[in-house]
Amino acid sequence: MIKILFISENVKYIKKFKEIFSNNHYEYYNLSDISLIDDIISVDTPDVIIIDQNFENIKAVSKNIKLHCENSIIILLISSNSADKEFVKFANAFITSDMSEDLITSTIAVNTRMKNSLEMLSSSNKDLADSLYRLNALYNTSSQFAGTLDKSQLLKIMSEGMDRALSFSLNCTFSLCTENEPVLILDSLYELSDELISALKLRAILNYNSVFEGKKQPFNIEIDKLKVIKHVKNNSNRFTFNLFQYDNMFAPIKLSENVFGFVEIFKDGNFSSDDSACFQTIAQQVALPLKSATLYQEIIETNLKLEKLERLKSEFISIVSHELRTPLTSIKNSLDILFSGRCGEVTESADKFLSMAMRNVQRLSGIINDLLDLSKIEAGKMEFKFAPTNINTVIDYVKTALSEVAKSKGLNLAVCVEDNLPDVNADAQRLEQVLTNLVSNAIKFTPEGKNIKIISKLVSKNDIIINESFREEIKLLQDRYIEVDVIDEGIGIAQEDLCHAFDKFAQIENSLSRKVGGTGLGLPIAKQLLEAHKGAIWCDSELDKGSKFTFIIPA
Amino acid sequence: MKKILIVDDEQDIVESLKFVLEAAEYTCYTADNGEDGLRLAKELTPDLIILDVMMPKINGYKISRLLKYDSKYKNIPILMVTARSQEEDKLIGEETGADEYITKPFELDEVVKKVEEYLK
Repeated sequence: MIKILFISENVKYIKKFKEIFSNNHYEYYNLSDISLIDDIISVDTPDVIIIDQNFENIKAVSKNIKLHCENSIIILLISSNSADKEFVKFANAFITSDMSEDLITSTIAVNTRMKNSLEMLSSSNKDLADSLYRLNALYNTSSQFAGTLDKSQLLKIMSEGMDRALSFSLNCTFSLCTENEPVLILDSLYELSDELISALKLRAILNYNSVFEGKKQPFNIEIDKLKVIKHVKNNSNRFTFNLFQYDNMFAPIKLSENVFGFVEIFKDGNFSSDDSACFQTIAQQVALPLKSATLYQEIIETNLKLEKLERLKSEFISIVSHELRTPLTSIKNSLDILFSGRCGEVTESADKFLSMAMRNVQRLSGIINDLLDLSKIEAGKMEFKFAPTNINTVIDYVKTALSEVAKSKGLNLAVCVEDNLPDVNADAQRLEQVLTNLVSNAIKFTPEGKNIKIISKLVSKNDIIINESFREEIKLLQDRYIEVDVIDEGIGIAQEDLCHAFDKFAQIENSLSRKVGGTGLGLPIAKQLLEAHKGAIWCDSELDKGSKFTFIIPA
Repeated sequence: MKKILIVDDEQDIVESLKFVLEAAEYTCYTADNGEDGLRLAKELTPDLIILDVMMPKINGYKISRLLKYDSKYKNIPILMVTARSQEEDKLIGEETGADEYITKPFELDEVVKKVEEYLK
């Protein structure tokens, strides 16, 4: 039904319109007393207002009409065919007194339809604008989340985002993750009395109990000791207990099983279902960065611990090298002097025990050197002098150095090298150290009369056969390698022990190694040195048959 | 007789070095800290100095630098004794001017041989 107000004093017109609008499509009023106009239109705004252009004081009245009836259709009745120019802007349509009834009703119908369409459009525009605003708030909030790993800051961004999108009166965030204890963070529009805060604390604890119902609670919370952080926007006003009658929404802040806290917001007014979706989204969105922040914090803490351990290790190594070496030097010097006979003749039994002491001093100093080497490599502090190196020169050097020892044990130390091998980029001294270690081991563990063989050759990546115990950890990244094998006919290593051959102190368990000496650090050092050369080392072995240690270096 | 100054805070090491060097007919003077060592080096102008690195007051590295930068003493050979601690490694990595480094534990005979080489 269209409500029509006709403003005119002209009896002829009044009568005519009354006839036109006297059906149930219309509700028709006539007004001729100008003094009543304000009251009538402000109480009951009509859909259509028709004004007689000849109405007295029409100009003075028109302003008021426009002010109160912004959404009404204003149609001007004119007596002739010309309208006053001032009213052109003011009116939606014009009718003349001689127009037919159909023309008049259709003018009204067209304008009403147009008005309705415009209203619909405006309302959907408003919805669209609201959604856009919320989306924008969500987008801003989530991009801010990405910018920090500070958990308190993340919760602050969450609260600000909710305020932007939902304009809450009070936000109660119960945080379990920002400090060593639970904290109730209150972001409030107005000031909160102590009593109200106590009530909010109690409410938070009840929420906490329900979030962890049937599960282990991470904290035992006492209401008197619960920490509260309060931010008040406007402290000239105060909330009362009416706050609890406000519309509210609740969401846990969690990622799968990790509960970081929960959030409850209150608003003087109603939250829509879109508001609820937005609220839940923000509460969910903050959980992931909180998880990242927690992990980040753990990494920082672990790193600090590791740094401390590394420092302790360094200090320890320093003590080992300095504090052990110095007294060892004094012992060794004393033994040297006694042994040299400068303090009197050395009897046969004294010689035996002095030799024993000397041997063990040598061994101890070997262990100290190995420990220092290993810790230096592990700390990345070992310096290498890389230069083009011919592996056969290294082999030659080691053979010369150890052939006497091998001979004295009745072993045959043979060398089988491939001629014209390309140089490798290596620290020759370190390669000598590796090879010396391998050959010394072979000499130690091979019984009298047997053979030890050193082989060198150039191999392509595809021809390298790595023992299956080592295959997984060795990656061949180069196409060509120089391979060196040290083959003995010694006691060998059991298949199940192979993978531990390069572990630190692996041989300590082996009673034979105690008999033959050695620090148990030679092979781990060799492994590390070769890795520093982008090479690798492994071994094949059979108990009582012998072992083959193989190392490779990129050619 | 040639004069050798031994500077080391480890009395036992000083004793054993002194023992073998005196047996090889050198006159030995000793100091158990860097300050005394530097003073004696300047007073005595020895023919050779055996110098420990880590010592109280002034470390061997500093003494070596001070002497090597002084034209009056720069020709005195310095044998530096090091225990190869990380801190010492760092010091020795810099220019100390020492003529020789001997790592603890060392062979006394080796030291005597080195001394003889420098004092030929």
